[in-house]
Amino acid sequence: MKKSTLRWPILAVAGALLLTSCATGTGGQNDDDVDYDPDAELSGTINVLGFGAGDEIATTRIDVAEEALGDDVSVKLVEGDLDIQQLLSSIAAGDPPELIYANRDQIGSLAARGAILPLERCIDGEGIDTDQFVDSALEQVTLDGKIYGIPEFNVVQLTMANTSLLQAAGLGIDSVNGSDWAKVTAAATALLQGSGDEISVIGVDSKMPEFFPLWAKANGADLVSDDGRTANLNDPKAVEALDFAVNVYNVQGGFAPVKAFRDSADFFGAENQYASNELGSMWMEQWYVNVLNDVSPDATISFDTFRTPEGEPLAFASGSAWAIPAGSEAAAASCRFAKAMTATDTWMEAANARVDLRAEEGKAFTGLLTGNEDADAAIQELVTSTGSAQWDSAVEATYLANENTFSLPANPADAEFKKAWQDAANEVLTGDATAQEALDKAQDEAQDALDEAWAKFEE
Amino acid sequence: MSTVVSAAQLSARRRLSNRRETVAALLFISPWILGFLIFTVWPVIYSGYLSFTDYDVINDPNFVGLENYVTMFEDPRIALSLTNTLIYTILSVPAHIIVALVLAMLLLRAARASGFFRTVFFLPKMTPAVAVGVLFLLLFNGQDGLINKVLRAIGLPAPYWTTDPFWVKPGLVLISLWAMGSSIVILLAALKNVPVELYESARIDGANLWQQTTRITVPMISSTIFFLVIINTIAGFQMFTEAYTAFFGSGNTTYSNDAALFFVIYLFQQGFEFLNMGYASAMAWLLFLVITIFTVVQFVVSRRLVYYEGDQR
Amino acid sequence: MTSTLDPTDAAARAAAPLAAVETAEAPRVIPPRRRTTRSRIARVVLYVVLAGCAVVFTYPFVWLVSASFKPRSDVFDNLLIPKNFTFENYLTIWQEAPIGVWLVNSAIVTILAAVTVTASSAMVAWGFAYFRFRGRGALFALVIGTMMLPGAVTMIPTFLIWNGLGATGTLTPLWAQNLFGSAFYIFLLRQFFLGLPRELFEAARIDGANNWRIFTRVALPLCRPALAVTLLFELQASWTDLMRPLIYLRDSDTFTVPRGLKSLLDQFGFGGEYHWEIIVTASVITTVPMIILFFIGQKQFVDGIATTGTKG
Repeated sequence: MKKSTLRWPILAVAGALLLTSCATGTGGQNDDDVDYDPDAELSGTINVLGFGAGDEIATTRIDVAEEALGDDVSVKLVEGDLDIQQLLSSIAAGDPPELIYANRDQIGSLAARGAILPLERCIDGEGIDTDQFVDSALEQVTLDGKIYGIPEFNVVQLTMANTSLLQAAGLGIDSVNGSDWAKVTAAATALLQGSGDEISVIGVDSKMPEFFPLWAKANGADLVSDDGRTANLNDPKAVEALDFAVNVYNVQGGFAPVKAFRDSADFFGAENQYASNELGSMWMEQWYVNVLNDVSPDATISFDTFRTPEGEPLAFASGSAWAIPAGSEAAAASCRFAKAMTATDTWMEAANARVDLRAEEGKAFTGLLTGNEDADAAIQELVTSTGSAQWDSAVEATYLANENTFSLPANPADAEFKKAWQDAANEVLTGDATAQEALDKAQDEAQDALDEAWAKFEE
Repeated sequence: MSTVVSAAQLSARRRLSNRRETVAALLFISPWILGFLIFTVWPVIYSGYLSFTDYDVINDPNFVGLENYVTMFEDPRIALSLTNTLIYTILSVPAHIIVALVLAMLLLRAARASGFFRTVFFLPKMTPAVAVGVLFLLLFNGQDGLINKVLRAIGLPAPYWTTDPFWVKPGLVLISLWAMGSSIVILLAALKNVPVELYESARIDGANLWQQTTRITVPMISSTIFFLVIINTIAGFQMFTEAYTAFFGSGNTTYSNDAALFFVIYLFQQGFEFLNMGYASAMAWLLFLVITIFTVVQFVVSRRLVYYEGDQR
Repeated sequence: MTSTLDPTDAAARAAAPLAAVETAEAPRVIPPRRRTTRSRIARVVLYVVLAGCAVVFTYPFVWLVSASFKPRSDVFDNLLIPKNFTFENYLTIWQEAPIGVWLVNSAIVTILAAVTVTASSAMVAWGFAYFRFRGRGALFALVIGTMMLPGAVTMIPTFLIWNGLGATGTLTPLWAQNLFGSAFYIFLLRQFFLGLPRELFEAARIDGANNWRIFTRVALPLCRPALAVTLLFELQASWTDLMRPLIYLRDSDTFTVPRGLKSLLDQFGFGGEYHWEIIVTASVITTVPMIILFFIGQKQFVDGIATTGTKG
């Protein structure tokens, strides 16, 4: 080949080289030069990644937030869950979104890598009152003493049991709310009907592996230290909890058949497992109450919070948070947007919008868990009676749970940490390992990941 | 009048026409060459570089030498996911080929209606892989799924496809068979190419259907089968979306299954969930190596087993 | 006689039958059979089996379509005919999501992707098939080699390239790489070209045609069925691709159908309110246009593949 024909391929490669080397990550950039002033006029565009404006709660608040930002700012929502590939690609290109809406348990690792900004200056500048947020929610977004997210929403768990099945077996709600583990196991066998391929009623569903942290905490084990540095997965109390929760399945024939039957339930339909008497009792996130009320208002269900063996209410809090990516070009606007979205007044407006909507539909307003304590209290005043003691008790239980939440503090290896305990739980569920073995292994994996991540963070 | 051409002139002319031929060929091939340099060579070099770094995309890459490769040796999940992938591939490739062949042979005899059926068989490829994952969970549910209902009706054992670690991969193989339409199309074309006379004379000699198939059909289309084996093996090694949606999807269930941890899924987890891009790049290179070895082995084996018709270029 | 292992050769010969798909080979004639009862029964059995398979292949679609006409509570009741037939879902989707825009975007990307890859791959394949030059085998081996590269290896660096060109957020990265051909189709088409008799080309050359004319006027028209297959396969691949839209597109107005479907899934499905009836309806909307296209294009497809004389 002639030299000349070689020339342009070389140019092409060199060009590509140049283009790619121009793009480096945004990590570690800070917002020292950003001016957070609640009275300043802002302009520009903020791209929001991960938030979907699905219902009136969202749209009402967005309207309020847009007003707070003023006419010169345009808000563009990239609908759909926060997709980590999307986020990484945009960061790699040096063009991250101005604001992201993430799950609170993702904040830790994003913060540790410098992908999102610590929000001190934003909070001071715009005057966000962090006391208004639920404590456990704030803990989830605080790493190394710094806050990295503005919490939004809170999800708690409730005990939901089939009243008629309970009565038929001569049991009360205290047998299945977790306040006595022996009773729970007994209830599981008592309420179970059928076996193997032919299960027709699941006795008790301990919701593994998802609810393992809840069971562990109920038994007194904190899976990770408060400063997020030391994993504690093989704490004897945690092992005990895992054993117990898995055993609930084992006395009913094993996890596989129970799960298969559970998966086939018409979860969101009129023939859901409560309406068709296919489930004795389980613990479930509070939003399911609304679904049940919608599709099967006549089902007989007993509600309570999740209870510790001491009989105290407990819930594992989770939810979302607003965070500002490093390198965001409109950090001030993003900050103001987040502030507006989570302000007490904004929540009130949204709640009122829902109250009106429900009134039109002839339905009751069952409350809203906002992650903002002040808003929660105010909104609780707006709750109207559903006209039935059963559904009212669900709302009460929800608010009670909301006052007794805990969470796992943020840590820089949250994905690996979560995976470690989930894998451990799965192994015990499929009978591949004992609880002690699985959690020992998980402890090693998790601690290694944490050590590595903290080391990098401190560099 | 003939011109006397010297030997030197002749060879010069040949060199010139060779040169012209080369240039012309390269001109035609130039789009690919350009694309190759920009979108293959450069990314491959860069990802090779990344495999020697610790890179989380958010911050600049950080050179760590062979650390990633050393870790790969010690990581039990690497062996696990590689084994899973191998088992899946070994199960799915023969299953694909055999079933596609049977269906293609049926289509061959269907003459008139074959066009319609062929389109029907190709349709499932239109379904987004995400939907296939969801369908898997629904249809293969151990208790209520359609598949098990049918199996029980016939009196066959109905395993827990979605939860029993032993049956997870066979279940995934089955659902992947649903989308084998392209193999059927290709095999049908090859089957049509087998000279009818061979069957005729075999029939005259008293060969039954099985003998005809194994002695005539399969050898005659062996080159196409070989092509499909290669393609499907490469695809099998890269199995991702359906299994990810069914067993590792972010929102649907935290219940995952080690039996469904395929190599690319683990790669994806390392790269995009744990933000170990450097490690993920090293993993990608390992996969490339494995695929290449497999393909070379298949080529070597093919020399003995595959019959080539004419064209020895 | 090749004694050394030449992967390209072996691969080439491996796919040779593809090349002979419809050239002027001896037409295949099914010898007339005596219509015995036995062969009639065999025919019936054949059609029953095929029909059974067709049911298996199409059942999931049928299930999806019927579910899309059901209200939320009935979606999983497994009845083929909806108990409470409703159009509500389709209306909701139309309001909730810019499906029309998504369909248009998908159409643009898919058509561009399929057309460019067919054109460029044909060109490259011709380069490998017609000309003889030194290093041809090695270069073709390289082409095959790229097929074995896992996508993950090149994903982020490719993204950086497009970003450097300022093309992220646009539809361009979704199809523009097809301008450079694709190894699979190059392979396919090259096999096909190799099966064409060289005399045709020599004849054209004698008539004064240059390389380009030979390619466009002689070779291309002869390989229409293979081009059709290429077009079809790429249409399918591009229509269902999720990975590229996921990393390159941000604005929901630029989404293609699979990307839009995912955002609906996130919002209404797993991550959100579990409105399965919406998910199901969206799936139908995204799959049906392709199906219709297929049935229309089936004629071309059938004509292309079956010109060798099978009756019907």
